[in-house]
Amino acid sequence: MPPLRLPPEVEAVLGGFFTCEFTTLTRQSQPLTWPTLPYYDQAAGRLIITVSIAFPVKAENARRNPHVAMLFSDPTGSGLSDPPAVLVQGEATVQELLEATPWSWELFRVSSRRQPDSRKYLANPLTRRLFSFYFQRIALLVQPREIYVWPHRDFTRPPDRLGVQYVE
Amino acid sequence: MWNKQLAAAARAYSTGILTTVDAGGYPVSVRCSPELDDSQEVITFRDLAPPAAGWEGPACLLFHRHDARLEQQYELLIKGRVAPGPAGLVLRPEGWLTGTGSAQTDRMPHAGAPGDLIRFLLLGRRKAREYLAKHQERWPPLDFAEMLRQLDKP
Repeated sequence: MPPLRLPPEVEAVLGGFFTCEFTTLTRQSQPLTWPTLPYYDQAAGRLIITVSIAFPVKAENARRNPHVAMLFSDPTGSGLSDPPAVLVQGEATVQELLEATPWSWELFRVSSRRQPDSRKYLANPLTRRLFSFYFQRIALLVQPREIYVWPHRDFTRPPDRLGVQYVE
Repeated sequence: MWNKQLAAAARAYSTGILTTVDAGGYPVSVRCSPELDDSQEVITFRDLAPPAAGWEGPACLLFHRHDARLEQQYELLIKGRVAPGPAGLVLRPEGWLTGTGSAQTDRMPHAGAPGDLIRFLLLGRRKAREYLAKHQERWPPLDFAEMLRQLDKP
């Protein structure tokens, strides 16, 4: 897909927040929301998260039901001043990361910059061997279907509905 | 189903993330201020704005926090059902989940707590073996040298 057409303050949130609250649905349509590190693949107009093969519940849920949501409501670490909150609803495609791609390397670099202490585990041959399951990842590629925005992260008001538009 | 220890942990947060499912079948979330009632074993949300004000059905409530280096992570999820009540929307918990499976604390494993890390290591290795066995896979070798090179790129 082409890039999304988004207001700059929404682009900044998708690309700058360290975490989002990511929801999948179980077989019984029970929502489960967990904090997750998001990656905004701007060029492809999509959002990506990854999970370890040791903790694959999000991927298993999304394989059964691709409807997911990502709420960006916690700006900790982003450095953004008074950003909005953004809710992206979309459809997830699940893909095991058996080989590296340009976007998976970029995701890896962005995540490592945001969590700099993770490099210590990677640089140590013993810890990276013991924790190899942490580096065996499954990607959830999310194509947005609807986007809502709360200016100033003010949830006492209804959100603005942005819809989804692409750069032509 | 109520958990007083995790309810106390939840009170450390001023807000949480309430999620349910919209008419189109997509999850929908808002950040809000819950009130946890140990005696009635319910969680009430007052003054929710649309679309959350009229929610009804399966729902969950997440509390989480981390520092600016993505360390000091805490997370706690309460799942259940929401329905309108006399004082606002009411969540009746059916399960309390933490990132580590603990029923006492919402703290995630970190380097300052070796016991946590060892439990995380053993759990992760066991679960990874189960995943690979279930999917009848051998994962390709990980190229750690290339990973480190990637981190040094500007």
